[in-house]
Amino acid sequence: MNTIEIIEKVSVEVTINGQRQRRDVEPRMLLVQFIRDELRLTGTHIGCDTTYCGACTVLLNGEPVKSCTVLAAQADQCEILTVEGLEQDGKLHPLQEAFAEHHGLQCGYCTPGMLMSSVALLADNPSPGRKEIRKGIAGNLCRCTGYHNIFKAVEAAAEEMREGADHGHQI
Amino acid sequence: MTLSIIGKSVPRPDARDKVTGGKGYPVNVRLPGMLHAKMLRSPYPHARILRIDTRAAEQLPGVKAVLTPADCPQRKYTTVYFVPTDAASMVRDMLVMSDTVRYAGQPVAAVAATSIEIAEQALELIEVEYEELPFVFDPEEAMQPGAPQLHEHAEHNIAVNPVMEFGDLEAGFAAADHVFEGVYETQRVHTCYMEPRVCVVDADGNGNFVVHSSMQHLFGLREKLAYVLGIPESRVRVIKPPYIGGGFGGKLDIGYIEPIAALLSVRANRPVRIEQTRYEDFISTARHPIKVYLKTGITKDGVFTARYAKSILDTGAHATHGAEVINVHGAFGFLLTYRCEHRKWEGYSVYTNNMVGGGYRGYGSPQACFAVESQIDEICDELNLDPIEFRRKNAHQPGDPHPFVQGMHLDTYAFDECLTRGAERIGYAQRTPANTDAGHIKRGVGFACQPLWVSGCLGFPDIYEHSGAIIKLNVDGTADLSTAAMDLGSGQITTLCQIAAEALGLPMEAVRITETADTTTVPFDAPSHASRVTYSAGNAVLAAANVAKERMLKVAGIMLEADAGDLEARDGRITVKGSPDISIAIADVVRRAESPFIQVTEDGPGPTTVEEKGTIIGLSSTAPAGNPSPASVGFVEVTVDTETGEVRVERAVYAHDLGKVINPNGAEGQVEGGFQQAIGYALMENLQFDENSGACLTGDFLDYKMPTAVEMPRSIESIFIESNEPTGPYGAKSLSEPCITVPAPAIANAIFNATGVRIRDLPITPEKILVALGKLPSE
Repeated sequence: MNTIEIIEKVSVEVTINGQRQRRDVEPRMLLVQFIRDELRLTGTHIGCDTTYCGACTVLLNGEPVKSCTVLAAQADQCEILTVEGLEQDGKLHPLQEAFAEHHGLQCGYCTPGMLMSSVALLADNPSPGRKEIRKGIAGNLCRCTGYHNIFKAVEAAAEEMREGADHGHQI
Repeated sequence: MTLSIIGKSVPRPDARDKVTGGKGYPVNVRLPGMLHAKMLRSPYPHARILRIDTRAAEQLPGVKAVLTPADCPQRKYTTVYFVPTDAASMVRDMLVMSDTVRYAGQPVAAVAATSIEIAEQALELIEVEYEELPFVFDPEEAMQPGAPQLHEHAEHNIAVNPVMEFGDLEAGFAAADHVFEGVYETQRVHTCYMEPRVCVVDADGNGNFVVHSSMQHLFGLREKLAYVLGIPESRVRVIKPPYIGGGFGGKLDIGYIEPIAALLSVRANRPVRIEQTRYEDFISTARHPIKVYLKTGITKDGVFTARYAKSILDTGAHATHGAEVINVHGAFGFLLTYRCEHRKWEGYSVYTNNMVGGGYRGYGSPQACFAVESQIDEICDELNLDPIEFRRKNAHQPGDPHPFVQGMHLDTYAFDECLTRGAERIGYAQRTPANTDAGHIKRGVGFACQPLWVSGCLGFPDIYEHSGAIIKLNVDGTADLSTAAMDLGSGQITTLCQIAAEALGLPMEAVRITETADTTTVPFDAPSHASRVTYSAGNAVLAAANVAKERMLKVAGIMLEADAGDLEARDGRITVKGSPDISIAIADVVRRAESPFIQVTEDGPGPTTVEEKGTIIGLSSTAPAGNPSPASVGFVEVTVDTETGEVRVERAVYAHDLGKVINPNGAEGQVEGGFQQAIGYALMENLQFDENSGACLTGDFLDYKMPTAVEMPRSIESIFIESNEPTGPYGAKSLSEPCITVPAPAIANAIFNATGVRIRDLPITPEKILVALGKLPSE
């Protein structure tokens, strides 16, 4: 006793928001810690430690995951998208624009996770109905807004993105 | 003059930052050399610590400091931010660490180490020997003779026992045609702010402390921490975080973390960070459970003759907010709600071996409103009276003297209109009698009122209410606004910038809240609580803007060769009233004020005047002129599945007389968020504890159910009844709290309308409904 177990580190290499990053970390390190503490991308938040609140949602190879429930080592050689990667060439993602315009946020702490779940939702379903939006973000808790302004924001972004697609823009 | 920014749903200035992952949360603060600390918590609800051995922990590599009760100041304090610690009305019964444990989870030791993992490992090496003591979890049992005693100063475990009486209660009951009695109970719920409580404290070795924390009051934290450490307040510098991840009253008191981090930082001579886990947050603060015994006398046509209530509040191991919540509960939840000559209320804030309660939006009123508004509907049902007319008949009237704040009147009071317009919108008159739907899905409509609420705390004993602001104009025609008022997310950054922009005649985007402010740089502000910020801090911002504007117009007057009194500012320009051609950009005025005394131009040196020179700046520190009361009424439509007991809130309508709406979208967001939390309170949320060990059984979001997007009603419609409140900034009064107070009794009343079943204790779970319907055995 009175000694720290020496834990052999593992190498984790990811492409995060388009950038290649490699770190040697303890095998027990969670993906959310890797993103926040190793890569210092602090937009991905921790609101609980039990996979429920969804504040830490990121896209792992395009799929939304709660990054507190994935080990960093499991993300080795994967592509990760976090809230910091949504903005392209100085232009906000339509969902970011819509959340800002429709007051789809208050304290903003759940917003990054809410945005990432919404990105995944619209990728699967470009024209979700209200019920589908509710289900799509049911894994993300927000305590400020009552969700209604988030529904409006997702609907507005979906419309914007469909129109953008109609005009041949890639979003 | 028409308003150009007030009353418009301008986007939030903080929105862009927040949708890109806003960096300004305290949880992101990291300092060079910073250590991580964890707390060891008692497994027993009541115990005496006989021995603590930390030697093994201290020797673990990476451990830099260890703290036990013997290392902590033993000066008792109260945690509540909005009062001075030595206020007569508060109970000082808290210690940072004590050798007596009074609830399961109380910190008994702490370790600071180079990593969280090492700190956690060190905690396992600390040996604590406890002598277990008898415990009590039920407040009424705690009041019985012979019950385990928690604090020497509190006989029968009663922390405070306020009694308020008006008129002659006995005469009032003698005059009644009917007397109704009922008992109503509410549960312990958590505010569920999303950002955990977290702090970083840096002791500099010279007796100074710099503090970062996710909290609702800079100056309260400064005062409390200085008091606990026994040092002058100026030794503590609290940094204002640009944002915090929610509060709702749950960060309205100093936690264990700030003093423990401060003491560890001194010992380690390094900055110390503590971030609570969600489990730790769940046992750090809660809305108090209150049991209300109601007795009400009325005439046969539904006029109150006498109202009596006794309220038992479970304050847990320490009094803290429990000493104040009980008073707000009694006064604004019960005594002041309706007109009645003969009234009496007795409150008991009772110590138990439960977790300590805290602040939570509504601050005692949700518990009272559930009792009062449920019982009124029961009375109306029994005597076949119209629930709308009943409330109208007993209501305060516009122009009445304010029942609480001396010298004020209910000038902009529109309770009647709230009732009328809300009832119209939901179609209350068309509702069917109780339990008339065929089939197992039954529909019901109900409502409840918070007839009188506050815009801050002016008039409350011992509670701060002044605010301050600094507004500084820049040469590019923008303005920086500095204030200690915290935006917990509810939108004060937006509303305060709107007020400043409107007053200065600047475009909205030209005003920004400064990213940095701390207790050494901005005037005192009371906390963000009590629905006060738009009204009270808004008044301070307006006052500061007006000071800056006066100087701005003076300089402009010299430049335009016009009298300052003839000028007006709008859309970034200053114009001579009635002569729109004679105008100048605000940026040019500021540039002139900031320019060298002699400016060399193409025409040669041109001296300005001394009067023009100097930064255009405004400062205020002021208390508001009043505490105007808004009224509010909430209606809901529910469906109840009588086979499963499941309740769905289908639709909500909320009417509130808030004076002038500063930002309609922001205001609607407040209401929608309030209903969300209240639906959780009414139907599902409940902090539960093991009846033998006192351990929290609902310490994560899997076991503590709160509404997700799926449980929300299909619509929440806000009706804002506007007026021009003479004491408010641009006519505003307050909004935030009543929308979380009225939904629970409205839902209970709607469930009765749907099913004929009356539930008098929250949350109204499917099980309770099925038991009441006779479809499940009781226990």
